[in-house]
Amino acid sequence: MSERMNRRDCLRMLGLSSLTAGLGTVRSRPCHAQSAGESSGFQSSIIASGTTQARGGNATLIDGKVIQPRRELPVLDETDVLVVGGGPAGVVAAIAAKRAGANVTLVERYGHFGGLWTGGLVLLVIGHIVKGGKQVCQGIGEEIMRRLDKLEGGIINRRPGVNPTADAEAVKYVMVEMIEEAGVKVFLHCWGVDAIVTGNTVRGVVFESKSGRQAVLARTVVDATGDGDIFAAAGAEFEHRSHNVGLVSRIGKLDRVDRDTAAGAPKPKRLGSPTPVSGVNWVNMRGPEVDGLDVATLTRMEMNHRKFIWNHMQKTRQAPGYENVYLVETAPQLGVRITRVLHGLKTITLADLKAGTRFSDVVGVGGSDNGKHGPWQIPYGSLVPAEVDNVLAAGRCLSAEIRMADLVRLIPNCFVTGHAAGVAAAVAVQDRCRPRDVDVAKVQKILRQQEAYLG
Amino acid sequence: MNAREKGRSAVDTPAPKGRNRVRLVVRGACLVGAVVLLWSVVPLAWAPALVGALSPFVATASLLATRAWAATAWAGLAVGVVVLVRHRFFCRWMCPMGLCLDGASRLGRRLGRRSLPGPRVGPWIVLLTLGGACLGYPLLLWLDPLALLTGVFALGADGPVPFVSLGVILFLCLALSSLLWPNLWCARICPLGAFQDLLSFWRRFLGSVRRRRGNAADAWQNGQTLSRRSALGIATGAVVARIAGLARAKAPRPLRPPGALDESKFVGVCTRCGNCLRSCPSGIIRRDTGQGGAISLWTPVLSFQDDYCREDCTQCTQVCPSGALTRLLPEDKPRMRLGLPRVDMNICLLADDRECSACARWCPYDAIRYVFSEAEYTLVPQIDPNKCTGCGACEAACPTTPKKAIVVAPV
Repeated sequence: MSERMNRRDCLRMLGLSSLTAGLGTVRSRPCHAQSAGESSGFQSSIIASGTTQARGGNATLIDGKVIQPRRELPVLDETDVLVVGGGPAGVVAAIAAKRAGANVTLVERYGHFGGLWTGGLVLLVIGHIVKGGKQVCQGIGEEIMRRLDKLEGGIINRRPGVNPTADAEAVKYVMVEMIEEAGVKVFLHCWGVDAIVTGNTVRGVVFESKSGRQAVLARTVVDATGDGDIFAAAGAEFEHRSHNVGLVSRIGKLDRVDRDTAAGAPKPKRLGSPTPVSGVNWVNMRGPEVDGLDVATLTRMEMNHRKFIWNHMQKTRQAPGYENVYLVETAPQLGVRITRVLHGLKTITLADLKAGTRFSDVVGVGGSDNGKHGPWQIPYGSLVPAEVDNVLAAGRCLSAEIRMADLVRLIPNCFVTGHAAGVAAAVAVQDRCRPRDVDVAKVQKILRQQEAYLG
Repeated sequence: MNAREKGRSAVDTPAPKGRNRVRLVVRGACLVGAVVLLWSVVPLAWAPALVGALSPFVATASLLATRAWAATAWAGLAVGVVVLVRHRFFCRWMCPMGLCLDGASRLGRRLGRRSLPGPRVGPWIVLLTLGGACLGYPLLLWLDPLALLTGVFALGADGPVPFVSLGVILFLCLALSSLLWPNLWCARICPLGAFQDLLSFWRRFLGSVRRRRGNAADAWQNGQTLSRRSALGIATGAVVARIAGLARAKAPRPLRPPGALDESKFVGVCTRCGNCLRSCPSGIIRRDTGQGGAISLWTPVLSFQDDYCREDCTQCTQVCPSGALTRLLPEDKPRMRLGLPRVDMNICLLADDRECSACARWCPYDAIRYVFSEAEYTLVPQIDPNKCTGCGACEAACPTTPKKAIVVAPV
């Protein structure tokens, strides 16, 4: 490519040429046995035959560099509130926004809801209580817990002042139930890869899935990706942090341990703690402190951790009495704790926790990981990017000091920030304003109506 | 002995009635003043220290033991100069404890009680203490009446029973003793009174020898006797202090409040007045009920069970009347070393891969990091001794019960 042409011109030219080439390239040929769309009467049918994928805008090599040309993307959906990420924060945000009267679309990269709670097998729920035993996580998060309570084998240790342990499948089920009841539109298996931005304003998100690269347009976006993928793509300022990356596993047949034989020898390490499935424990892992955004690192972690867990289980089985214990599964999802943290209008600080600061724009109250300290208020400003508009952070990636990150990322605190982000996004849509200009009193009123605790 | 005869309680000394009345008013005012200062009504951090610091006995012993000028020493030495000129001026005009005990003595006399005959132990207490002070350990400094009075106000900060109100019990014992045997404390035991006697005796003796007034031979005789006794007392005190020091070398060293003197000096110079306990906003200063051995009994020790030593707080060092805690500035705090935490990986939640980051989060000096151990495949807390001050924030935050996994140990 000519050196006189700058990159933008080059891309523009490529984009235009490929657009014309790519239009209407889905051609079908007649088929012998049956036509496309007809049932074959067998296990599988032909949806379309002799097809080639539209080649509009393939990445190409120019001067040895891989260049992604401009191209038009199909719009999968247009909505009021788009929630990216179906973990504890995203699911609660979607339900909250829908209940507050907005049209909501929830997009999740895996095939299930619950994020690290289910996919990461982080089954123990900590962070909902504070010193003295008071439970500060209420609202939709607490509704999820109550529904788990009603399921056989849904959750154990649901007592005041105690940290309960949930069953991953029960959580996935309850979340599907609640999302459907609320009437949230869902796309699973979609990985949010880019923000659609005009100027400083986010207009939607680009997703990659088996259906290709598609766009969802939205009036407000809630970034519940955990890694802040969307606000980062939109150009919001963030802090890139390392944290421990581990891999959780479940081990079984602990109810078959021969107590008499085991009594004589030292107890094996890493036996974890009980889950709703009898004889099955979940085993946490902290892992080394690494960059959870680096794919080579993530790959190394997955492989090392899986080897360690398997080998460690063989050691455990050599302990007298533990011969029958076995590895049920390693978590499908790697336990990434903290990666990107938003630079918001306000930041959650340890000093505010110590001082018990009360914010006028409080939208939630966070709890303690061990019930040893008091509640901490979450200001609305910690959800709002300092520069970029129409996107709100929810979950572990919201604006918080490094010392607070281990509290912000806990499941109940993700419920709380998700709840706040969902309601605020709905209010922004209804009042036709930017999230930073939202009437916080109105958000607080709706949150209280939805039984959230604001201190 | 001239001084001894005069060294009776202020009440015994005959004086014109009008003057007695003035004196009563002044002493009453001093008592009220002492209560106001000790009750921390005055918004001055060092106010409670002033009462105890007025004792020239404490100031002298502290000066001898530490060979350093404590921030509060000027008060005691000023009183010392006055009593050098005016015999037992402090007892007659100022002592708040004396007024209380005089009241009890008067009541006792009305009830027909008589003074107890017997030797005076006060001078021996003084001599032993000063002798010990020369070797850094003023043996019986805690018997200073102003320290005992201050101890009454430590009530409530003293912690768990059975020592809950030892200060009050001691005070009531003194009052009762004066009721049963009038003036027992003031005339025979009080080291502050005896110290004033010694001061004024030496002044009179030297004066009479110089001016050859009165019976010089008698004075010389008295002087020799007293010199002998002083030498004996001081030597004994020094020997006891030395033995105690040797015995203590092996005793467990408890955690002391910030600014504490070297342990060997601290146990002696500390008057056990309890001011530091009361002043601590975190409530981490407790009475030593035996952790540090017999000699350390009732001295202040630190407990990080529930709270820690604040980054910018120097309250306890402001209220120490004897200089056992040297006065600190807030900017000195990050350089103080109270101790160093040790982690017991048998109970640390990280050894079990639990989601705990309490000690690192609450460390005000960023001194704790969790390092991944390839061998154990878990995190291990690592403490940076250059940053750590031993403030105990980690211990207070540690959630394990009943034993904490991270505990600050003396260094």
